[in-house]
Amino acid sequence: MKKTGNVAKSMVLIVVLAASACVSGCGNSTGDGNKTEIEIVQYKPEAANYFEEVEAEFNATHDDIHLTIDSPNDASTILRTRFIREDYPDIIGIGGDINYSYYMDADILMDISDYEGLSSIKQSYLDIGEALKIIPEDGVYGVPYVANAAGVLYNKDMFEEYGWEIPTTWDELLALCDDIQSEGILPFYFGFRDTWTCLAPWNALAVDLAPSDVCQQVNRGETTFSEEYGEVAEKMLRLLEYGPDDPLAYAYNDACTAFANGESAMYPIGSYAVPQILSVNENMNIDSFVMPGSNDTSQNTLNSGIDLQFCVTAECENKEAAYEVLDFLLDDENIQKYIDDQNAIPCKEGDFELASMLDGMSEYIESGNMTDYQDHYYPSEMAVDAQIQTFLINQDVEAFLSKFDSDWKRYNRDTIRKVQEYEQEHGGTAQ
Amino acid sequence: MEDKKRTNWPVTILLILGLITIAFPLYMTVVIALKQPSEMTNSISGILSLPQHFSLDNFAQAMEVTDFWHSLGNSLLISIVTVVLSVVLHSLMGYAIGRNKAHSKFYKFVYLFVVSGMFVPFAILMMPLAKQTAVMGLANWVGVILLYVVFYMPMNVLLYTGYLTNIPMALEEAAKVDGASTWKTYWRVIFPIMKPMHATVAVLTALSVWNDVMTPLIIMSGTGSNTLPLAQLNFQSQFGTNYNLAFASYLLALIPILIFYVICQKQILNGVVSGAVK
Amino acid sequence: MKKINERKRTFLLITIPILALFVCFNTVPLIQGVIYSFTNFKGFGSFDWVGLRNYIDLFQDPRVGNSYLFTFKLAIVATIVVNVISLILALGLNSHIKFKSFLRGAYFIPNVLGALVVGYIFSYFFTYILPAMGEMIGSEALSSSMLSNRNTAWIAIVIVCAWQSIAMNTIIYISGLQTVPEDVYEAGSLDGAKGWKKFWHLTFPLIIPFFTINMVLCVKNFLMVFDQIMALTKGGPAQSTESISYLIYNNGISGGQFGFQSANAVIFFIVIVAISAAQMLISGRKEEQL
Repeated sequence: MKKTGNVAKSMVLIVVLAASACVSGCGNSTGDGNKTEIEIVQYKPEAANYFEEVEAEFNATHDDIHLTIDSPNDASTILRTRFIREDYPDIIGIGGDINYSYYMDADILMDISDYEGLSSIKQSYLDIGEALKIIPEDGVYGVPYVANAAGVLYNKDMFEEYGWEIPTTWDELLALCDDIQSEGILPFYFGFRDTWTCLAPWNALAVDLAPSDVCQQVNRGETTFSEEYGEVAEKMLRLLEYGPDDPLAYAYNDACTAFANGESAMYPIGSYAVPQILSVNENMNIDSFVMPGSNDTSQNTLNSGIDLQFCVTAECENKEAAYEVLDFLLDDENIQKYIDDQNAIPCKEGDFELASMLDGMSEYIESGNMTDYQDHYYPSEMAVDAQIQTFLINQDVEAFLSKFDSDWKRYNRDTIRKVQEYEQEHGGTAQ
Repeated sequence: MEDKKRTNWPVTILLILGLITIAFPLYMTVVIALKQPSEMTNSISGILSLPQHFSLDNFAQAMEVTDFWHSLGNSLLISIVTVVLSVVLHSLMGYAIGRNKAHSKFYKFVYLFVVSGMFVPFAILMMPLAKQTAVMGLANWVGVILLYVVFYMPMNVLLYTGYLTNIPMALEEAAKVDGASTWKTYWRVIFPIMKPMHATVAVLTALSVWNDVMTPLIIMSGTGSNTLPLAQLNFQSQFGTNYNLAFASYLLALIPILIFYVICQKQILNGVVSGAVK
Repeated sequence: MKKINERKRTFLLITIPILALFVCFNTVPLIQGVIYSFTNFKGFGSFDWVGLRNYIDLFQDPRVGNSYLFTFKLAIVATIVVNVISLILALGLNSHIKFKSFLRGAYFIPNVLGALVVGYIFSYFFTYILPAMGEMIGSEALSSSMLSNRNTAWIAIVIVCAWQSIAMNTIIYISGLQTVPEDVYEAGSLDGAKGWKKFWHLTFPLIIPFFTINMVLCVKNFLMVFDQIMALTKGGPAQSTESISYLIYNNGISGGQFGFQSANAVIFFIVIVAISAAQMLISGRKEEQL
């Protein structure tokens, strides 16, 4: 008996270990009782330094609220695990994409239509936020903070040297590409091995050539992608002719490096790529222009979407304090600091100074002529980016689009059902 | 012992030649870790050339970005405790199963039950575990360690039971005749004889723990403390990766585990003597 | 009689608590995962029961089917390659060679390099270096990137998988060789046909348990391949290298298909357990014969 007691003792150890862990876990309650705690989790780790500064500044100037801003990597996984633990941050900073739609649909976010700061946000971005709702409903669930834009980045020095003009129509773009080629220079670089980069030219063309709410229209059963995306697909193939021989061999990083080293004159990608390009060649003179997808210039529009917006979660206990934090974030000075730091486009009205590589797009930004990324409506599990990559290999427009249509129905089954139920209740196309 | 026999030169030379497959990628890693982002090119001669200025700036900067000593401390703590617990618990489990599974249906079942745990895709466990550990107050490094002990149990139990089949029962029976209990026999006879396997298990477990990102990411997120691989995520985001800093950081992270391996592999070697008692 | 009871009790006292720990953190969450597989749970928010819909979809989804084909093709080839090379390597590293510690240490390095480093280096190798070498020797097949061709991308992944896992399998073979009396394995080292015969008839039977372990570990690692895919191809080109784990993680955790991918994981689990059980039965029988 004594001997087996030994065994039992050791085994008790394990249990004790587990128990002590529980104690240590439960012990860390928040210390300062009289301060309101506000926690933000935001999904852009590249802006971590900016948010650290904001956090410090806020805490230095506020006695009643203590702000914590977390900028983790892989924030989407972290947010999901925190949601399932029911450990909601007070404010989340996310993009205006399908995750936002899902979070709204799952009632994770709070209606903040009574927040006064909303009045200073540009209408075009509020509209984009509105369009992301799966079914029309009342309420505002996010404050758009900054946007990004995608089009074509170009090597300004090279353009000046050869006297090339910025194209405003599709034919002009093709003529420009021929000119560039005749000089023995590669017009475009592509990094299509990273499938997501296929979406950059795709989005930029699709906003010009397809209706901005094509996904909602399909959900309502009014049209099909085969009908709306045909021209987009054809023009993607045309662009391919002006790229490297084997565009699928290179990844995003290879393409950035190649463009930075002057191996191509243009690179169809978003403004978010600029820091990576500059890290390779910090003296490079980069500017951008709107992808001229159509020959009708009135059709052409800037591809721009909400890059970062702040949403208050439904579980947040101190709405007032959360609003105060939002006010602080939306302070003109802070926004200017953010856009200087990240080459971003502000969603707030006002006189902000934009980064020089957005010069070519400023006309569109100022007039509000912009349309959201189409892929913000694509469910990520459908892997549209990989389907586009497949299409670029097979070059079969019809097969690609019919698969797009049938897959769309598969992956959006629950959404479509919801939309159509709504339509039936509200008597057809009420929008 | 090695000196007594003559060296097998042909094999030595072949093995050294084979090292090219390792030396070449390692050379690239080191060179990139020493370069600046502006020296990155897509040309072969460019990537293989030595850096223009030799400086350890990248390493210093990488240490700063990852809060190196703090993250290293966390990683070491988690790895060491996990390895110790794994060697003790998994070898015991392997012993109990290995000595019984041939004649007991229960242990055969336990064996298959535990080993099959190896094939559960982690993704399916992630969400439930995130919730469970939070409810149990284990959303911290202790929880991470407990999860590791469970995750690596299937592989380690498989290793230990496999090793036990090569250890004859006769060894135990001798001790039993002396009146020692099973528990004592285990610690006096079996545990020491499994030394090479302990070393193997220690290396494999330490390695998996050392490089693991997902478990601490979902369990420890929001606690403010990082492990080294978690901190290394700082170098990559979707739109930009600083390979130079990242490579410097990975080289730094490689050193502790390599030292640990070199120590352990001596133990694997020492096992020759005890293993030969057959 | 008393002795036997004492022994039995000790074994039970060891087994039960450890098993309880295992059930708590493996079986219980697994059961929850199985429950989710009957819902349309996105990973957050509310969800509905959908019955067997996920399972029916699973068998009709060509993407899932392709991921099974790709994963098994990869696993079989990589398992063979890795086991052959690591067994030879283990025999080599275990024979009387110079610089033994250094060589053993060096061959261990691939196992330690992080996925980001391995991904970058090998992408570079396949994108720029290998095609250049291919052009130099005038080989058409090699002169374009292996990663951009859907017929060859999987081979590139096999190479990287093998490069990384050979280290681990070699360690296990080395530790196995320690249980073999020295004169036997020494004779089995690579000196001529006689040595090969000795190896096959004397050494190999003695390390069959380790062969089994390595087979199981290979099957586990390669059927669940994920890191290498993320680092090299992200499932491309043309979705030809989407492994099962890649789909489960990408669509279940990053995407909104948690319920559906849970069903995928359940089926996948059942498939591998069935294969491994068969594998263990076969090699178990072999062990008994010898």
